[in-house]
Amino acid sequence: MLESARSRLKAWTVAGIGTAAAIAVAGVLGAFGARHEPLPVLAPASPIDTGEWLLRPLKAYVTVEKYAYGTLLKPGGKALVLEVEMTNRTAKSTKDYFDVLQASPATVDPATKPFIVLTRDSTMSPELHPGMPERMAYIWQLPDGAAAPASFNLTVIRKTYKPRDNLYGLPGWFNPTPAGTLTIPVGAGPDSPDIQP
Amino acid sequence: MNMRKSANLVLLLVAAVFCYGLQISKPHYGELIGPIPARGKLGDTVVGRAFEVHAEKVEFARKLTVDQFGQQRVLTTGGVWAVVTVEIAARSESTTIGVASWRGPTGLTYDQTERLSFMNGLLPVAIDPGLPRKARLIFEVRPDEASDATLLVSEKLVAALDSQAEIALGPVAVAADGLPAGTVDMLDMAQPL
Repeated sequence: MLESARSRLKAWTVAGIGTAAAIAVAGVLGAFGARHEPLPVLAPASPIDTGEWLLRPLKAYVTVEKYAYGTLLKPGGKALVLEVEMTNRTAKSTKDYFDVLQASPATVDPATKPFIVLTRDSTMSPELHPGMPERMAYIWQLPDGAAAPASFNLTVIRKTYKPRDNLYGLPGWFNPTPAGTLTIPVGAGPDSPDIQP
Repeated sequence: MNMRKSANLVLLLVAAVFCYGLQISKPHYGELIGPIPARGKLGDTVVGRAFEVHAEKVEFARKLTVDQFGQQRVLTTGGVWAVVTVEIAARSESTTIGVASWRGPTGLTYDQTERLSFMNGLLPVAIDPGLPRKARLIFEVRPDEASDATLLVSEKLVAALDSQAEIALGPVAVAADGLPAGTVDMLDMAQPL
């Protein structure tokens, strides 16, 4: 009886030490630190590298027009337009830019997906080609009755390149993670000047 | 006994080195199941499994004019427009040519532009055996990717284990303004092929 209690105690002790050691190792490797690290704040005036894209925010404004860059907007509603210069840093034409900029839920309803338009000729979400900077407009419909904000926050999402993915063994960009946040002032209208570096 | 132990150790090391050599020298899965190239040059008829393609000429332009619903539109670009006129035909059964890319000398790959999606005669085009048809392949490229480029044509985007025509377009001289020599200011896409 006593013998059995002693061996049980021994087993519990060993298991406890093992668990404590595992948690300690995880802590040393930074498993608990990563979660609480605040996102870096990016400067809107300098180019932002997201892996696939080089972004340079140019201006933001709120429009009440019927069309913004050929996009039909909800009648009577407002739309937030962000113009940004995008350069494809990869070796292939791509349109993987739908999730690279996320507007803060305080300004835009998270369920609202932006229209993304090439400002040159209002083409809706075309592929962008390697090494050729293009001016693009992200157009978010604002919630009904919302006032035009003075500024808004964006989260920039970056991806990492894998020469071979785990499923098909093909190259690609994976693992989207927030790279930082930035605050962009909202100008008066389409004629407001670009943010200068 | 000691002798045998060290012999085993050497054998183990040799096996490890051999396996590592195999790992770094053998083609990977993605390369093994990739497209099968059918190579040729400008003016050749390149024959693939299901289609054959003949690149006639390459033109460069600063701007394109297109007809959209009876209205003329001018399309500008941050680089230069490259327009390749090709003749394509199916070999034994009707099929569709869906994808064309421009691979520059440094390997940057420019897909056919999506800004003229309303225009007739762009990919994807349906082709039939014995009825060759002409098409324009239109690319926006960076001027320094214009020379010694390769035109890639395939039936579909993932041309795994199927033919991909690779047509060498040859050298292009550079003019004083950095654009390819012979770049015209305006190219009219409404002109018949």
